[in-house]
Amino acid sequence: MLDKRIAQEAIDCALSTGGDFAEIFYEDRLNNRVSMVSGKVESVNSGRLHGAGVRVYLGFRGIYVYTNDTTREGLIACALRAAGALHADERINAQPLKATEYVNRNPILVMPSAVKTARKIEKMRAAQAVMGNYAEIVQNSINYSDSEQRVWIANSDGLYTSDTRVYTRMFITAIASNGTENQTGTEGPGALQGFEIFDSRIDPEAAAKKAAERAVTMLHAPACPAGVMPVCIDNGFGGVIFHEACGHSLEATSVATGASEFTGKLGQQIAATCVTALDDGTIPNEWGSENVDDEGTPTTKLVLIENGILKNYMIDRLNGRRMRMPVTGSARRQDYSFAPTSRMRNTYIASGNDDDAEMIATMGDGLYAKSMGGGSVNPATGEFNFAVQEAYIVKDGKIDHPVRGASLIGRGSELLTRIDRVGKNMKMAQGMCGSLSGSVPTNVGQPMIRVSSITVGGC
Amino acid sequence: MEKNVFIEKILKAALDAGIEAAEVYASSNDSFRAMSHNGEVDSYSVASRSGLSLRGLYKGKMGYAATEANDEEAVEQLVKGVMESAELVEDDAVQEIYRGDEKYPEIDNYAPALDRVSESDKLKLLLEMEEKALHCGDERIKQVNYNMLSTVSGSTSLVNTYGLRLNQRDNMIAAYVSVVAKEGERVATGSGFGFGRDFSALSAEKMAAEAVEEALFYLNAAPVPSGVYRVIVDRRCMPDLLSTFAGVFSADAAQKGMSLLAGREGETIAAECVTLMDDPHMKDGLASSGFDAEGVATQVKAVIENGRLTTLLHNLKTARKAGIKSTGNASRGGYSSPIGVSPSNFYFKPGSKTLGELMTDMGNGLVITDVSGLHAGANPVSGDFSLLAKGYTVENGQKGRAVEQITVAGNFYTMLKNIRAFGSDLEFVGSPVGSPSVDVGEMTIAGK
Repeated sequence: MLDKRIAQEAIDCALSTGGDFAEIFYEDRLNNRVSMVSGKVESVNSGRLHGAGVRVYLGFRGIYVYTNDTTREGLIACALRAAGALHADERINAQPLKATEYVNRNPILVMPSAVKTARKIEKMRAAQAVMGNYAEIVQNSINYSDSEQRVWIANSDGLYTSDTRVYTRMFITAIASNGTENQTGTEGPGALQGFEIFDSRIDPEAAAKKAAERAVTMLHAPACPAGVMPVCIDNGFGGVIFHEACGHSLEATSVATGASEFTGKLGQQIAATCVTALDDGTIPNEWGSENVDDEGTPTTKLVLIENGILKNYMIDRLNGRRMRMPVTGSARRQDYSFAPTSRMRNTYIASGNDDDAEMIATMGDGLYAKSMGGGSVNPATGEFNFAVQEAYIVKDGKIDHPVRGASLIGRGSELLTRIDRVGKNMKMAQGMCGSLSGSVPTNVGQPMIRVSSITVGGC
Repeated sequence: MEKNVFIEKILKAALDAGIEAAEVYASSNDSFRAMSHNGEVDSYSVASRSGLSLRGLYKGKMGYAATEANDEEAVEQLVKGVMESAELVEDDAVQEIYRGDEKYPEIDNYAPALDRVSESDKLKLLLEMEEKALHCGDERIKQVNYNMLSTVSGSTSLVNTYGLRLNQRDNMIAAYVSVVAKEGERVATGSGFGFGRDFSALSAEKMAAEAVEEALFYLNAAPVPSGVYRVIVDRRCMPDLLSTFAGVFSADAAQKGMSLLAGREGETIAAECVTLMDDPHMKDGLASSGFDAEGVATQVKAVIENGRLTTLLHNLKTARKAGIKSTGNASRGGYSSPIGVSPSNFYFKPGSKTLGELMTDMGNGLVITDVSGLHAGANPVSGDFSLLAKGYTVENGQKGRAVEQITVAGNFYTMLKNIRAFGSDLEFVGSPVGSPSVDVGEMTIAGK
């Protein structure tokens, strides 16, 4: 753990050549991974990530230094190195550290480190066993991972706090083949939870069944035709469309520098009136939740868009200074080797009033995207793209046949205004999101939505 | 604890605990990374980071554990971790800790002068990149949205209980500048990039000019109508496609049924003009190394030669299964990752024509300069891809207008067979995967 007195010393050292803010982030993390290929445990890997990072600022100038050496001497050296790089003429005196307590919203019942690996493997076998029911599934892999991350954060405002984040996830890949062609189906359920996740959120058999059926369906699907058409996107991982097309462009990382297409648009209509979207780090035990963010700020429930009007950005401390706006508890980082910045947590389009069946029945000819793959975006231009794992051609309002290889492209601002239906059944799904401060767990989510027109890339 | 003392302590503890053979794989590096915005350095990060992993044979199975802490507690955690994981592993493949080769090629990946470049000189170059881009004389360039410079200097060691001791140092500098051009409602971005081991060879002016030129060119970009087009994938873009599908050449993927190249060694899988090289000895190659992640000496080879698949890439385990020798392609994603297989410096052998000549031969079609969404829109198992792309039209052999908001779709295996010609412009741009410009025949484009 980070000793309070050493933290105070390190913060004082970090400010010794000037600066108006200093922070220390200390991390100790145990990771476990088990991988099983076609029913055989192929590797069991445990690791301990351990280090600390010191940040010091003056105005918008920031220095970040990190190290594995977490002894008192190591942390002081790290802080002095940061101070040496800043050379500021102004300085403040750090406030005395005062421990901050909060109510733990994310209780963990069974720490993964207290569970024998053999029991984890049993859960993997349960998923694996399902694969045998599908003759065309020639290969499958089941990955299990858990992580216990303990962080301590202290800063020159007198903050001294800590958080424990425990993640458990299972990732299933099924490969269907007819000898000359392969198709995959994946499912990756997880949460900010311990091993009790298998009593509630993860049903290994059901997840494996979904992955296997998706691979088999796609093996028999013809190629998706290319063109511009209406698209219905189902709930759950379908939310990745909002994440890519809009979410990244609402992170202060791109808003503060003016690089985002949504810079300066607070209070303006940026989406159809049926769209309300949130980013919520407070939902108990959700994959993207935390008690405090990686700057030690309590996480929040943030309305991003309300009835189409832009309400809030996601803001970290440094960008908050640039934007002259308060932080939103959105500062995150992969680990101590990254300085934190504004990131999404659990981001979703809220449930609306439309009926799923009506949406498809009235869409004419188009595409029903049942399960999405991942995607990416260029926040400066808003250009996004993402893959559809499982898609169906809709003919005259009826789901006709599956197609493979579909992708959706467009610009975020256009897409948001073209959403013309929002369903009633919001669901979230888990992903890993990569950006400036590394890869962090985020939830995406939405009810079924319809976009009146979008460019579909086929194959 | 001092690193070598720590390593010896771990190996001794492993043998004492009954582990039959063990290996420590350690990596450490010092890194520097800075970004600037509006003429001020706004992000500046320096670090030293090290970590190691222990791999050991216990009851005939291979176990793994890794740590970044180097205390007594870590020694115990590693040895216990290896034993526990070995007892649970069910993989029947015989695995080994390597006894070593007689000779290892000498690879020079380390330029001492680069380590001596001062932080202030690096910051000067960084600010100059932004300055040159912003003051390029074209008022449509409104902003530099990303400006970064980084250096890393590190070492990798492999030490085992058979007495094998290998060590390699490398360092490198990379710089990247991205600009935003605006005209009315139109927005486009462009980027410039530089990397290598010679600080003085990096030109802020050149990187900035590249970024500016690209952004301005794409300001007028528009989609083309959907259809089937003749396509050239240029040398900046093809490496992205090739690295996405590089996994299909891994014998590990093939043996697990995840590559359609399984068992196809000796067969023709590509057009006759295709030769695909794996060259771990390349001078200044980003993936150059004298030994692989299992301590096997590396070798230069053609993976595809004149269209014929000559070999897949192997590590010790996959080679033993196939009854051949390892090709020296064992890899680890990081010090804590399990042993996998991956190429080293991997590239299509260039042809004799310039890009202009390839365009003349094509007549009418598209040059694709950039694809995005590879982690989602490309499926390495099926070979299918459908990707957001940009580029420009070619009309009667001449460069036409800029194109964006299209998707290019195809299948990697089919593309290999359809390749008509390679350009002479092979280059490695910040990646160990490289390619010249390639005339790939016809592809499906979705546009307006």
